[in-house]
Amino acid sequence: MSAKLTSIALAVFACAWVFLPDFTVSLLDYVGIYAIVVLGLVVMTGVAGMTSFGQAAFVGIGAYATAWVTTSSFVAENLGGILGPTFLPCVGLIFGLIITCALAWFLGLITLNLSGFYLPLCTIAWGLSFYYLFGNLEFLGGHTGITSIPPLSIASYSLITPRSFGCVIWLIFFLLLWLMHNLLDSREGRAIQSLKSGRLMAESMGINTTSYRAKVFMLAALMASTSGWLYSHFQRFINPTPFNLSSSIDYLFMAVIGGAGYLWGAVLGSGLITFIKSYLQDIIPAIFGTNINPESIVFGLIMLFILQYYPNGLWPGLVKLFSPLVKSKKKSSIERYEPSQLSSRNMPPKGTLILNAKGITKRFGGLVANRSVSLDLKAGEIHALIGPNGAGKSTFFNILSGVDFPSDGQVELLGESMTGKVARDFATRGLGRTFQHVRLLRSQSVLDNVALGAHLRGHFGWLACMLRLDRREECALQFEAIEQIRRCGLGGSEDTVASSLSLGKQRIVEIARALSGQPVALLLDEPAAGLRHLEKKDLATLLMQLRLEGLSVLIIEHDMEFVMHLADRITVLDFGTVIATGSPQEIQKNPRVLDAYLGIDEKSEGSL
Amino acid sequence: MNWDIALFLGQDGLVSGVIYGLLAIALVLVFMVTRVIFISQGDLVAYAALSMASLGGTKTPGTFWLLIFLALIVLCTEAWRWKRGIQIDWKTTFIWTLFFPAIAAFCIFLLPPESVICNILATVFIITPLGPLLYRFVFRPIANGSVLFLLIAAVTLHGILVGFSLLFFGAEGWRISPFTEQAFHIGSVAIKGQSLIVVLVTIVLVALLFVFFEKNIFGKALKATAINRTGARLVGIPIEFCGDLSFAMASFIAAISGILIAPLSTIYYDTGFLIGLKGFVAAIIGGLVSFPLALFGALLVGQLEAFASFWASAYKEVIVFTLIVPVLFWRSLRSRHVEDDE
Amino acid sequence: MKFNKIALLFVALGFNTMALADINVGVTVSTTGPAASLGIPEKNTVPLLPKVVAGQKINYIILDDASDTTASVKNTRKFISEDKVDLIIGSSTSPNSLAMIDVVAEGTTPMISVSAASKIVEPVDGPRRWVYKTTQNDISMALATAEHMANNGVKTVGFIGFSDAYGEGWYQAFVTAADLKKIKIVSNERYVRTDSSVSGQALRIVGSKPDAVLIAASGTPAVLPQKTLKEVGFKGAVYQTLGVANNDFIRVGGKDVEGTLLAVGPILVAPQLPASNPVKKSAMVYYKVYEDTYGKGSVSTFGGHMWDAGQVMSAAIPEALKGGKPGTPAFRAALRTALEHNKEVPASHGIYNTTPTDHLGLDQRSRVMVKIENGTWKYEPLN
Repeated sequence: MSAKLTSIALAVFACAWVFLPDFTVSLLDYVGIYAIVVLGLVVMTGVAGMTSFGQAAFVGIGAYATAWVTTSSFVAENLGGILGPTFLPCVGLIFGLIITCALAWFLGLITLNLSGFYLPLCTIAWGLSFYYLFGNLEFLGGHTGITSIPPLSIASYSLITPRSFGCVIWLIFFLLLWLMHNLLDSREGRAIQSLKSGRLMAESMGINTTSYRAKVFMLAALMASTSGWLYSHFQRFINPTPFNLSSSIDYLFMAVIGGAGYLWGAVLGSGLITFIKSYLQDIIPAIFGTNINPESIVFGLIMLFILQYYPNGLWPGLVKLFSPLVKSKKKSSIERYEPSQLSSRNMPPKGTLILNAKGITKRFGGLVANRSVSLDLKAGEIHALIGPNGAGKSTFFNILSGVDFPSDGQVELLGESMTGKVARDFATRGLGRTFQHVRLLRSQSVLDNVALGAHLRGHFGWLACMLRLDRREECALQFEAIEQIRRCGLGGSEDTVASSLSLGKQRIVEIARALSGQPVALLLDEPAAGLRHLEKKDLATLLMQLRLEGLSVLIIEHDMEFVMHLADRITVLDFGTVIATGSPQEIQKNPRVLDAYLGIDEKSEGSL
Repeated sequence: MNWDIALFLGQDGLVSGVIYGLLAIALVLVFMVTRVIFISQGDLVAYAALSMASLGGTKTPGTFWLLIFLALIVLCTEAWRWKRGIQIDWKTTFIWTLFFPAIAAFCIFLLPPESVICNILATVFIITPLGPLLYRFVFRPIANGSVLFLLIAAVTLHGILVGFSLLFFGAEGWRISPFTEQAFHIGSVAIKGQSLIVVLVTIVLVALLFVFFEKNIFGKALKATAINRTGARLVGIPIEFCGDLSFAMASFIAAISGILIAPLSTIYYDTGFLIGLKGFVAAIIGGLVSFPLALFGALLVGQLEAFASFWASAYKEVIVFTLIVPVLFWRSLRSRHVEDDE
Repeated sequence: MKFNKIALLFVALGFNTMALADINVGVTVSTTGPAASLGIPEKNTVPLLPKVVAGQKINYIILDDASDTTASVKNTRKFISEDKVDLIIGSSTSPNSLAMIDVVAEGTTPMISVSAASKIVEPVDGPRRWVYKTTQNDISMALATAEHMANNGVKTVGFIGFSDAYGEGWYQAFVTAADLKKIKIVSNERYVRTDSSVSGQALRIVGSKPDAVLIAASGTPAVLPQKTLKEVGFKGAVYQTLGVANNDFIRVGGKDVEGTLLAVGPILVAPQLPASNPVKKSAMVYYKVYEDTYGKGSVSTFGGHMWDAGQVMSAAIPEALKGGKPGTPAFRAALRTALEHNKEVPASHGIYNTTPTDHLGLDQRSRVMVKIENGTWKYEPLN
């Protein structure tokens, strides 16, 4: 949503706040409290792809922390004199945030390494555990709960009424919304978005996926904790029931209905569900009488309807409805250009040994995919790796880029042994690669995809991005991306959604992405597949230009004509072993190669 | 803790574990073929148990009317789709919307209500078509959604089913008398006949499932769809039919589970959720792809529960759910591999 | 974005058409969720409550809070700000009621709770000045139970209860009562309402060799431990609590619950009370009207609490009307004051005598012992 539209909406909301009826304001307070948790969920589940059924536990921690701080006699004795009623809740907030941080770090350590469905199940597990824990601890009031939690107060003014308390709630929400928007709209945001499509690509761009996942998890937990703090001082009574599994499911529900991948979806989902439930409470008894309670059935049916017709949530539908009014900002209209912001590296002189693989063997159980394969790559050359399907080329590529580990042998990058190092380390040292199965962020623009490749060239971290301190660097990154896009012949497609391009063009986008990282070595996995004749010519021209600039390129290809005219050296792999290495001319005459792969010309055979 | 107590608890845990196992198998089956995490499986089990109890009290269970209602809706939807030119599999449609409900009606209204066998038959014929009908009503239209999306739809459906359950059966619990009061004694431990029946029926069911998947053409088609949807379509396997069939099998398993569980404990309108959850835990231990591991997970959960309730009953749930975490860890490590494709 | 919501809100305002001259009573109970077995009979009693008192018409607005504390508070706020009620009755569970206290105090609206915890009305200070309840305190029931146990030679007791506020509250009350009667509690087990098996807990209890067992649960889930105890060979007396006081418990328990003892409000066995019992007459009024409406054997003590709330309210209204018109803060304040000066108000659970320091008002007359014999509740004279 554009900034102008948002400001108008906020102004209207602020004005309406004064005039809305009391109960509506109460409901909006609850909407705000839920929306804060759901916002965290949107970032965690919708954007980063980690489903959590345990957010209610963190809400509970925030709630109990402040409840204990503000009602316990122990705290009152020691701190009550120093801090008045204004500051004690703040201590409660900080205390809750600290515990949440520690717990989220600990839980993240255990659960975030779980893949697939193990993560959500683990969140269910500790969500349930916390609920029963809360209920069994005496000093936390057990199942009966803690009463008489003091309200928030500023100076001597107590924020008791929903209208006054709501100001705090919505202020906090909009602040968090702004911070999240900034975060997702930055270099770190791109990295977070890449988490959804699996570790492989993100790690190859230099992103520490484990660390990022942990940070997103902690972010969502902290937001849930803040919501719990607000809940405690709003209700002024807590017990374990609001922090159980069904609440966690409700939050997830609100996220999906509102639009799991959209920040505004958080408030839309929370608001819609809260208000619908309230209306049903009034309308259903009027229709069905008071003998039965079909509210949950009617509510469920309404939700099913929404899910069927709006699979991406309601927010995108709403945006489409209003799209004639809203002009989306074109990203590629950047004003300032400051290339010096980004870190760059010096290209090594032509002929330097860039990548050296010595005796690589890879076994998968009983199958030997690579048997003692050796290959070297020098600066300013194009080296092709060819061979029949199943020869082990992609396996070898994975080892060369750090995605997989060899069973034997070692890889050296720029003279440094890379044994035990992961894809991230390869990327940091200047290795860029593309993938056999295209791995782009399908719903993002070409520009965002390519800019992801320059991730390691930026420096600003999460906090800086949230506070918008990274704008100049972001401009530079985007300009770099535009430059690479144009260089690869895709100028004009910067704002196109990646999934709408043809497969061949998507492969070019991958190359542009790899190039924006300013690599010293480029590993291309079948880049020409799916390209038309002219496009292949353009690709060849690009690669030759790169060679002139001192880049080294290792390319797997099946198109022999493409390879033979382009490559300086060719290595041929068959059944996991190298059967020949040499110049294109030598390879074309090599009988082993002809036998295994290239084939013998029948006519010439007959005439011999 | 002595041997007697351990054996008693072990037996208890075995019976619960077996019930969770049936749930887990159904969950894995439905997930593999349709990618839906069908948490309402627990609700269907509760429906079956409560229907048995209703029939035992010579009342027509509300689930029968739900079935009729759903059947009508699905018939209308299919007719509408047919008018729009979509190809409809009328044979299976009529089986679920007319044939099964008719037999159920026959069993309820025309057969003697005191006979336990008739009640069992009626329950099976009421509950089994509920699965495929719910599939057509809720999941088939959104079959291409992400797993999370399908899960949210399943959660919504759960809310609706629980609401109906409260409407039909009230807030208080129901139980039926055991099929047999017999008990065998080994040493000082009594092995209940009812428990034996549960275990035996489960073994038979699991064996039948195994034979089905290995030998029967439909079973093999289901397996194929589970392994690779697109590939299955390419060789001509109708994947919508497979979705239908997998839901039908799941609700059949639910019917049997409900009938087995009804004499064992009091069933409430919302019992389904927690047993469904434990079945889900077991299914995840099996990685949502392996039946034997899911069964193992279920037995593990059953035992953990039984012994945890002895050692620290207030913290039983905490123990069970916390001890699952290392198991998940172990499972996750074992399924590590270089990602090929998402 | 926000536009749609605002439009919806203006539509909502149009729904507010409440006659303000009548007395409006907001009722929030848990008719769905874990406490549904408590909330449903409470809700069913509302249509039987007085519709006209001292010439004023009374409107009841019933909302479900699904056994959730957030919902009970939301409902309360709705009653106060939208429906402008003069009195709130609710909720079915103690945590729900506790959550409502601060809200009703700020809204200067009196509240009558139908849930058990004594913390709801004790001590009568601050916000609790606005709160009343019509349920016997756990401690008085626990004392009656302990007394019966002591009189029957019970020296050791095993305890098993719900893993929630009900079980917790009962345990604390029973500890005090047992101490007073010199009875030792030898085991303390918990279970979850939805559990399908409590074998572990039952074995532990039997292992501690108690003379009797007290089960603190509500509704039909209370059958499970009793059944299991029988299975593992426990032969002693089994006491239950007033949470099981409905016929569904007997239906589900069957012969396994024969001989169960419990301390309960007199309404459960109203027809069997001797004519000399002071509560019999008023209890029979409710007993008859509930069973006439909902069928024989349908009466439950939970509905009785709601009935009593109605009686207590009716007794206070004439006095309150002197303080102001219904719908005004003056009326609500007067109602609050009148409620704490009720004298000898007969109802289904006992006779209420409230004072400014006692917002419950029940005494010894509000409890009896009953035993399950031949599948029905049988009145046991307290000795």
